[in-house]
Amino acid sequence: MSAVATLRPPGGVLKAPGVSAPLDVKNVLWLLAAMVFVVGPHLLRLPVWVTIFFLVTVAWRAWISWSALRSPPRWFMWGVTIATTYGTFLTYGRIFGREAGVTLLIIMAALKLLEMRTQRDVILAIYLGFFLVMTNFLFSQTIPLGLYMLACVWIFIATLVGFNRVGRSPTLRERLRPAGALLIQALPLMVAFFILFPRTQGPLWALPQDAKAGQTGLSESMSPGNIANLIKSDQLAFRVQFENGMPPYRSLYWRGPVLADFDGATWKMRPYASQGHMDYARRERPSKYVVTLEPHQKTWMFALDVPGSLPDGAQLLSDLQMRYRRPIVERMRYEVLSYLDYRFGDRANRVQLEQALALDETRNPKTVALGRQWAKENPDPRILLSRAAKFFGTGFAYTLEPPTLDRQDPFDDFVFNSRQGFCEHFAGAFTLLMRAAGVPARVVTGYQGGEVNPLNNELIVRQADAHAWSEIWVREEGWVRIDPTAAVAPMRVENGVNAALGPIGLQAVLIDADKFGLLANLRFAWQVMNSNWDAWVVGYNMDRQRQFFSGMGVPNVDWRTLGFWLMIAIFAAGAAVAIGLLVHDRPPPREPSLIAWNRFCAKMAAAGLGRAPHEGPLDYLRRVADKRPELAKDLEEITRRYVAARYGSGASREEIRALSKLVSDFRPA
Amino acid sequence: MIANIRQSISDWIFRATVPEAPPVTLVQRRIFILPTKQGYLFGFTVLLLLLASINYSLSLGFTLTFLLGSMAGVAMLHTWRNLAHLKLRPGRCEPVFVGEIAHFNVSVETPSQTRFSIAVRRRGDEPVYADIVASETASIAMAVPAMRRGLLTCGRLEIFTRYPVGFFHAWSYVDFGLTVLVYPRPDPRAGNPPSLSRSASEEGIPIAGDEEFNMLRAYRPGDTPKQIAWKALAREQGLLTKEFNATASSELVLDFDDARAPDLETRLSILCQWVLQAEQFGQSYGLRLPGREIGSGRGEAHRARCLEALALFEAPR
Repeated sequence: MSAVATLRPPGGVLKAPGVSAPLDVKNVLWLLAAMVFVVGPHLLRLPVWVTIFFLVTVAWRAWISWSALRSPPRWFMWGVTIATTYGTFLTYGRIFGREAGVTLLIIMAALKLLEMRTQRDVILAIYLGFFLVMTNFLFSQTIPLGLYMLACVWIFIATLVGFNRVGRSPTLRERLRPAGALLIQALPLMVAFFILFPRTQGPLWALPQDAKAGQTGLSESMSPGNIANLIKSDQLAFRVQFENGMPPYRSLYWRGPVLADFDGATWKMRPYASQGHMDYARRERPSKYVVTLEPHQKTWMFALDVPGSLPDGAQLLSDLQMRYRRPIVERMRYEVLSYLDYRFGDRANRVQLEQALALDETRNPKTVALGRQWAKENPDPRILLSRAAKFFGTGFAYTLEPPTLDRQDPFDDFVFNSRQGFCEHFAGAFTLLMRAAGVPARVVTGYQGGEVNPLNNELIVRQADAHAWSEIWVREEGWVRIDPTAAVAPMRVENGVNAALGPIGLQAVLIDADKFGLLANLRFAWQVMNSNWDAWVVGYNMDRQRQFFSGMGVPNVDWRTLGFWLMIAIFAAGAAVAIGLLVHDRPPPREPSLIAWNRFCAKMAAAGLGRAPHEGPLDYLRRVADKRPELAKDLEEITRRYVAARYGSGASREEIRALSKLVSDFRPA
Repeated sequence: MIANIRQSISDWIFRATVPEAPPVTLVQRRIFILPTKQGYLFGFTVLLLLLASINYSLSLGFTLTFLLGSMAGVAMLHTWRNLAHLKLRPGRCEPVFVGEIAHFNVSVETPSQTRFSIAVRRRGDEPVYADIVASETASIAMAVPAMRRGLLTCGRLEIFTRYPVGFFHAWSYVDFGLTVLVYPRPDPRAGNPPSLSRSASEEGIPIAGDEEFNMLRAYRPGDTPKQIAWKALAREQGLLTKEFNATASSELVLDFDDARAPDLETRLSILCQWVLQAEQFGQSYGLRLPGREIGSGRGEAHRARCLEALALFEAPR
């Protein structure tokens, strides 16, 4: 039987490869390429040993296929599996969680590639590849990555097509074309599913802590240097769309964590704060806007001080911090009303004020002494403020790269020695001075300013716009915002951080050098696209789905309605694809000479002299001319003309017409 | 096990009239389609991807999931289409001897684009794959070892495809009632036919016997060089063949009773060998079997008639 199984019948027909047949080298190389592509974005963030392990394994596998070597033995595979799992544990301290999980998945995929022998192994490896595509989205969901991953899926499906071709190895085109056709025809249904598939709120099971970590942002505490690090990040913090025009730039103070506890070096958020009320003594210049906040794993939400309304699920603390009821792990949109002209906290309670005066006498003694001395000369807060403004306005420099400060008395070191600092230095030092002078004060962190996209008037606030300022309490006035940085670098507050410090980062330098504004415009257009992408694709959740269907005139859409439309979409898409495929099934347009020839054959068949399917025109002529010698002349003429038109150098219109006429006049019966 | 159940279910659903008149076009209602094991595994993969997307609320994860799911749906249509509207015709099936490989031929045509990886198989055999290129007729040959003398029937053929992604198995059945005639295995130990060996022993050359030269006729392909009238050719009379008048005394009759062997098959093998040898020597011969007699003759058609008689003589079913 085995001799029969390997027999190769004639006519380009091949037997199916048996189970033990080696995998086609070209197909294996395609699979390896697809794997490298899909793991590519991970390689940059993985530990070096994983990257090396993956690339070496893939290269080894390619070599095995290329030189038809044997796969490594089973005991070796087990050894490597155990060793790499242990290595993952050593690297991350666990084998679950985002980074560790992805690392393990990549290692397993590499080992699967190495040991794969049969078609079944290949299929498993390809399906594993689809999971690897998914893991990339845990780290980023931008447009470029989405397109890149689409390309990866395309290559994987092309690989699958290659493995499902039996016989001759398909060409590049024969792989990519069917795979591309499948994907393109699947797109409409995919879009329908994306819009209609009912979304749920929250995860099905608890997410690992680091599921989407890695985002930078403000934290619960501030010590000199924190924000200066943050400011180097171009990462998006949030976007704002104002309802009725943007307020002046210098009033864009996005209030975040309020830090009232101070240990001499670090300002910290109070662990507990009481409920706040929006009973402002004065509230004018309202401004309404929608914030699209990037996930930052913390609970705070940003608003211009002071908020006059609260989004769903948010609560206000007594120091006017807006907090969400749980950590923000997904992009979130909320609408807020703020008052830009306000008075609040003029009836602040004693406890709060005492907290805002607390300081550790033993640390930063010189700064404390300076504050005390100012208060002794004139305790009026207004006089104190102008002294402070004058003090910081002379001899201090605003810089991103301040020198390292003394551990024990950092603010003394800053105020009396280095005199170079960033907003957190100024805000911290100023607040400490005020406290020493007997004025209740606290540090507020958040963002200041942002960048306006002229194409859609959206304000883009980045981590680079992070800022820290002070708030002091004055009798009859309540809490008043003081930004000591403004005294040193007024540009920062008026025009943003790039204006104050010069361009930060490569992108800003490029745009600075672009005289015609072309780059800037391109960048703005790109930002608009990203903004829509984030709002409608990446941020498409239950609320967005509701919103979308309300816009379509279907309020309060539920899963039944969605399911119904989904069914319709499936049938419509299926019917469209099926019809498209069948339309292609029509025979290709025939040559006129062939039409005439077929008519001729039909006439002959009617006369009992039909052409057999295997018979060529000349063989046919020989046979029928023998049987019907009286027709030989006509037969010869028609056949000659047909052969010349079809297999010769082509026929003119007249020649075709002559052939047609001959056939029409032909009467074999 | 599952394959068996599937087989019997589809046997029950699809009772084709046997044999069918060619050509058979695989129209919509003749094609069946079900997911393969690979397809089910893919479905499971998509389900896992969906769960992950929901849990991590990954919008692009949803996109990937839906893209792959929709792709599988589209792939089903493509697989079905890969088989749809193919036109099948039975091909010539040449007779073989026992112990040789018989080939059942089916020719397949596509009405439009090329169809890749179309497979045809007899029940229980390995499938044979072919690409059906547009405007060409692909001939698919299924090789089957001919083990027994008689009529080897092809039975119902399954034509199927899993292209392009292997998630679905689309198939259809067709039965043209293809048969291959299986001649007995020529017995190499049979020796020469009785009368032929007699004349060969007397003269050394079998043809130059005492038969009388009768006439010259026009050369026909298949005439042996020994029969060619070389002298006539030398006289530039063209290629002529000498015909001998086989007299009654020298007429060769291959008789079943002359083939002495303990069992029927061996006797038929011996007769088969004699037929081949007689034909090879250009000798006219007849065949006598119990209940059947074939008159004297020579040539391809005569040989085929004799061998067929041997093949079908009390043929085992």
